Amino acid sequence: MKNIYKFVVVLILMALVVGCTAPAPAPEPEPAKTEEPAPPAEDKPTEEVTEAPATEAPKEPIIIGSIQDLTGTASEAGKANAWGAEYAVKVINEQGGINGRMLEIITLDCKNDLNEGINAYRKLVDEEKVSAIIGPPLSNPASGWVDLSEEDEMPIVGHFMDEVVTTNPETGEVYPYMFLAEPGCASQSDAMAKYALEDLKLTKFATLYNTGNAFAKAHAIPFMDYVREHGGEVVAEETFTWADTDYSAQALKIANAAPEAVFLSDYVVQATTAYDALRDAGFEGVILGANTLSLPFANLVKNPVHDVYFLQNYDMLNKDQPCYDLHQAYMEDQKSEYPKANTAFGWDAVHVLVDAMKKAADPTNGPEVRDLLEKTTELPICHGNITIDPATHRPNNLGMFIADYDENNQIRILKYVLP
Amino acid sequence: MVLQLIINGISLGAVYTLIAVGFAIVFTILRFSNFAHGGMISACAFIGYFFQRYVKPTPPFALTVIFTAVCGIILALAIDFFAYQRIRINKSPSIYYFLVSLTVAILIEQILIVFFGTNMYGYPAVFETQTMQIGSFRIKTMNLVILAVSLSLLFALMILLNKTKIGLAIRAVAIDPNTSRLMGINSNVVITTVFAIAGLLAGVSGVFIGMQYSVYPSLGPTMMLKGFIASVVGGMGSLGGAIIAALFLGLIEIISTYFLGATTTTIIMFAIMLGFLFIRPQGISGKFAEDKV
Repeated sequence: MKNIYKFVVVLILMALVVGCTAPAPAPEPEPAKTEEPAPPAEDKPTEEVTEAPATEAPKEPIIIGSIQDLTGTASEAGKANAWGAEYAVKVINEQGGINGRMLEIITLDCKNDLNEGINAYRKLVDEEKVSAIIGPPLSNPASGWVDLSEEDEMPIVGHFMDEVVTTNPETGEVYPYMFLAEPGCASQSDAMAKYALEDLKLTKFATLYNTGNAFAKAHAIPFMDYVREHGGEVVAEETFTWADTDYSAQALKIANAAPEAVFLSDYVVQATTAYDALRDAGFEGVILGANTLSLPFANLVKNPVHDVYFLQNYDMLNKDQPCYDLHQAYMEDQKSEYPKANTAFGWDAVHVLVDAMKKAADPTNGPEVRDLLEKTTELPICHGNITIDPATHRPNNLGMFIADYDENNQIRILKYVLP
Repeated sequence: MVLQLIINGISLGAVYTLIAVGFAIVFTILRFSNFAHGGMISACAFIGYFFQRYVKPTPPFALTVIFTAVCGIILALAIDFFAYQRIRINKSPSIYYFLVSLTVAILIEQILIVFFGTNMYGYPAVFETQTMQIGSFRIKTMNLVILAVSLSLLFALMILLNKTKIGLAIRAVAIDPNTSRLMGINSNVVITTVFAIAGLLAGVSGVFIGMQYSVYPSLGPTMMLKGFIASVVGGMGSLGGAIIAALFLGLIEIISTYFLGATTTTIIMFAIMLGFLFIRPQGISGKFAEDKV
């Protein structure tokens, strides 16, 4: 028995000696070794680092967050937005990432809720240590980040169209880390009002919108202001609330005021009800609308669709447009019958952010990326060549498409209008 | 103008009537506000939509309504079996019914969101003409149909309650469940019948409201609010009261919105409900139902 123990001890000692006196790396590295990724520098002894072949250590990925409405009332848009952002990251990584560093995206759900949005933000910043955030196309959750992003020096690029998310409505000062990658509500409404006045030659307007919906309000009021300032007349301004399901009384009042056009700026649920209420009330004039009157609006309304003009960010079904393939990829991947503008929203926001990150010495440095975002000039994205105005953090050179529906209820782009 | 507003008000009231009666009939027997009714309306709206849209050849609209009503009955009985029966057996306080009904309503809405998202679905147009012009008045075709169906259904319900044995049993259980049990009435049969009626009404409401507006998961709960107000104003548990109150609320809503605006109207609607609770808690019907939850 004792002999067995001795034998085992000798074996262990021999193994230790062999281990400690292992041959040093060969002076010239074998080709196979050079191809293998080297371990992180901190795990290597100093001697080995100096003697090791000249291999490049893998660069840590850059982590960005994406906060979208994945389960709330705007989740149909939010999921398309998230898809677009993730797809953009995939494509950017296939093209080499940000100066050789891969991009990683973590998507969280804000449920179209202010507090959920703040929770998601804190998780991304505190736990996931993201370097920047892609925001949702929703102003309500995004409005909760204006101060937080400044405290944390966290650049946020999104499609929160209400101007109050990028500039302080009281002072007019810009929120330093909030950036919008499409025209704001007022710009979009101005484009529609301009088209109605100049191209459609209309002069008498009415509005019907939800006073509780910031998106709708932020469109409707600038629309009316633009009309009044440019010689038009607003003959009726009717409203409803979230609790209302029937707008026939408002529609009747509008029909009696006999406007030539009614501007609708709510989400698609309310916009379809408003459209049907107006047509049922006998209004046969022009309906003007925000980009929410895009599909599936025409498939949801009960009355025939005619004389409907609405805003579009993209000419999505035009093969000559830069993001046609993106929309096709989304439709194929998600088995969608029609393209969604939100897909390109996510794509555009990521590209605006990545452009600044690529120019930065340290892409994870919030203040540096912020400064570079302010200098975004003529960057090609789906929407066009975007230039961000440092004074507002919103694009100052992007227009909107005006579209209508053809006889088959397919979207037909009519004109590109600069506000 | 005023006549057009009255027509619109009655049309809207007809929609509320269907909801309010389905809501009130459960209260009549079980003395609790069945908020799950809103969830059932949403679920039935989806069922009707998919039946109408995807069954080939496209079924006649009447068949869609009947099919959805049957599905509504099955759904209501399932909810009763899984959610309420245990509470009845345990003779739990009414507050448990209330909590369970709220839970079921939220559960149905979330299930619909999981399966269908928050996207909207639009029923295919059933009528070639959306509105009818009678003199200088415009009447929505769907509103006329809803009004006719509502009145027919409510008429049938009144006959069922007042002229049949099961109706007599329902009324007896509503007045005094213990004594009616001693008299040999099987309360389980009565309760099952009541849930079946509520399910039928939810099925019919779901199709019509879905057609009137669009189909989405929160459709029923949104409409329930007005149905609930109508039930309170009508006198909780009173079917006749609920019908009158629903029509009354439809009229008030349209007229008030026209003259005072939508924001003020919401305040007025709730003020009316509070006013009735303070001044005349028994509602329009004058029948006071105890154990209100």
